[in-house]
Amino acid sequence: MEKLTPEKLERLSRTSKHKAKNWIRVGMSTCGIAAGAGEVYAAFVEEARKRNLQVEVQKCGCLGMCYAEPLVEVNVEGAPQVVYGKVTKEIAVKILEKHVVSKMLVNDYIFTMET
Amino acid sequence: MYTRTILVKDTGSGTEDKTREVYTKLLDLLRTDKLEDQVQVVRVADIGFYNKGVVIKVLPENTLYVDVKEGDLARLVQATVKEDKPVEGLAQKKEPKQIRIVLRNCGRINPESIEEYIGQDGYRALTKVLLELNPEKVIEEMKKSGLRGRGGAGYPTWMKWKFTRQVAADQKFVICNADEGDPGAYMDRSVLESDPHSVIEGLIIAAYAIGASKGYFYIRAEYPLAVERIKKALAQAYEYGLLGKSILGTDFSFDIDIRLGAGAFVCGEETALIASIEGKRGTPRPRPPYPSVKGLWDKPTAINNVETLANVPYIFLKGADAFARVGTQTSKGTKVFALTGKVRNSGLVEVPMGITLREIVYDIGGGTVSGKNVKAVQTGGPSGGVIPREFLDTPVDYENLQKLGSIMGSGGMIVMDEDDCMVDIAKFYLGFCVDESCGKCAPCRIGGFQMLGVLARIAEGKGKADDPAILKRISFAMQKASLCGLGQGSPNPVLSTLKYFTSEYKEHIENKKCPAGKCVDLLNYSIIQEKCKRCSVCFTNCPVKAIEGNREEGYKILLDKCVKCERCFEVCKFKAIARK
Ligand SMILES: Cc1cc2nc3c(=O)[nH]c(=O)nc-3n(C[C@H](O)[C@H](O)[C@H](O)COP(=O)(O)O)c2cc1C
Repeated sequence: MEKLTPEKLERLSRTSKHKAKNWIRVGMSTCGIAAGAGEVYAAFVEEARKRNLQVEVQKCGCLGMCYAEPLVEVNVEGAPQVVYGKVTKEIAVKILEKHVVSKMLVNDYIFTMET
Repeated sequence: MYTRTILVKDTGSGTEDKTREVYTKLLDLLRTDKLEDQVQVVRVADIGFYNKGVVIKVLPENTLYVDVKEGDLARLVQATVKEDKPVEGLAQKKEPKQIRIVLRNCGRINPESIEEYIGQDGYRALTKVLLELNPEKVIEEMKKSGLRGRGGAGYPTWMKWKFTRQVAADQKFVICNADEGDPGAYMDRSVLESDPHSVIEGLIIAAYAIGASKGYFYIRAEYPLAVERIKKALAQAYEYGLLGKSILGTDFSFDIDIRLGAGAFVCGEETALIASIEGKRGTPRPRPPYPSVKGLWDKPTAINNVETLANVPYIFLKGADAFARVGTQTSKGTKVFALTGKVRNSGLVEVPMGITLREIVYDIGGGTVSGKNVKAVQTGGPSGGVIPREFLDTPVDYENLQKLGSIMGSGGMIVMDEDDCMVDIAKFYLGFCVDESCGKCAPCRIGGFQMLGVLARIAEGKGKADDPAILKRISFAMQKASLCGLGQGSPNPVLSTLKYFTSEYKEHIENKKCPAGKCVDLLNYSIIQEKCKRCSVCFTNCPVKAIEGNREEGYKILLDKCVKCERCFEVCKFKAIARK
């Protein structure tokens, strides 16, 4: 990889901003993984592929609400950006079908963050 | 497509959850007005408020209503949806209690991608430091920021850097202390796992400021994912020329290596940590000389905590003044706490210094899981103390916590409710320190052991009237004469419980009772005949056959056979087992 100079860093910073419009982020720190985030992540990837959905499934670190792990943040055009907690494989499918496809938020699993 | 979203949650302490009822009512109202295609109503699991009745949030405006009554719903729909404005006299403002400086990227980026970190202005602070500031100026900025060490002692970071810079030497080192051994604390692990580059960037800036050519991450081996992510992050930084020779094309060169700790608590102490990196047995040595003068391989060394370093890039990115605007007079910025114990929402919280314990425990943490009163909050881990309920309105900063007999510590915050026994808590923390004492100095090795013996006998109902005095005397000796912070701090949980919960100790010693029902040796179990339904569940579940009787005549617990395992207490559906 090319060594960065201040100018190249600047450029890389600009081009590395989040570009995907539709994304799902799964918290994959120790707390999330212990609560089953690995399985949930795999379910999102697999089920999104099966349905041919235009959504990027990403891994991220810990949002802090450990009591509600596995945490999944969802942002798709046409619906508010929200965090779901205590997500299972089954809920993952529901999130894809309701939230991602139909832009309808899934009941009973949203944990609103203040910040 | 929906133009609006209404989130609902009954946060009340009422007996039944009204979330569904309000949800249906809102749907009905929308249907009557033929608005159901424009507005969606969603039940949420947690709306960030507790014991505030029905809470409703309207998106995208983000207007908030607490304690909403059924009669308000029609008005709410009318105003927010049809008239496009908040309901007068009902809308609330909520200032966020949490501020994200250290955790700014945690959960927001992929920790295994350096590009995502760079996309969030990562390594821009480093660029600024290397191109625009000389080391003295960097230290000057750190002074302006007011950042103090987050590893426990709260020593001003700029002073540590300045002293290390001042000493003339052919080589200097920086070390990131990621040993994190306090029971219940995991802030550093989370930062390392979720945003490793911010810590690395902080360490490079520290190295530049003091003139170090080599740095180490000292991480406990029990944090395999943190180690893996730091390893990956270091490799990425090398590939981009952010580490190694001529960083970012400047003449500053710096290397970082990882050293794994075997999980001894004492190896978090800076001189023991240095010994451990040197390949020696991890025991502390007397200070002075401080590591800033004589550290790793006798060279000047600056040791900083993970969270301290994660603050550094922010300071240079947003400016020292912006950082110093958060917090109190003496304690600037935020503190990350691992909120655990009997609290409902356990997890990491990042709060501005000066917030009260009550706000943390109730507004962010949602109060206790059991709904019982908070009895005390423990901060500072095994070197800290318990802060009783009366002081929950204390603003959290280094000085205030110390005044109360506790410390800020590294960020463990354990909430205790009325079921927690303070003698038991003191015994737990002291037991931890006795296990972890390295044995090098007598006050810690012998004092801790003796104190634990006294606490054990109090918990067994064999305490003597002068035991509190003995505990205080040994504590004093340990505080004054121990070699390092482990022995000096380990009496704190004992002293603070003795100070605030004197009568609870007395109850154990004089009346041989444990009011919280924790100290097993002081408890006896019996069947409350009036409540007993003679279902025989306790009888069949008792593993030592200490319950006799039959379904006709009822049951009785034989105290001489009972091993106090609490099985009967747990299985009785009628709460007919008394524990006193
Ligand atoms: C027994 C003991 C354990 C310690 N454990 C840690 C630790 O796990 N992490 C840490 O950063 N500091 C720990 N410290 C404090 C360090 O000695 C040192 O003060 C700190 O790393 C300095 O960093 P700071 O100035 O950024 O806070 C410990 C101290 C003692 C006495």
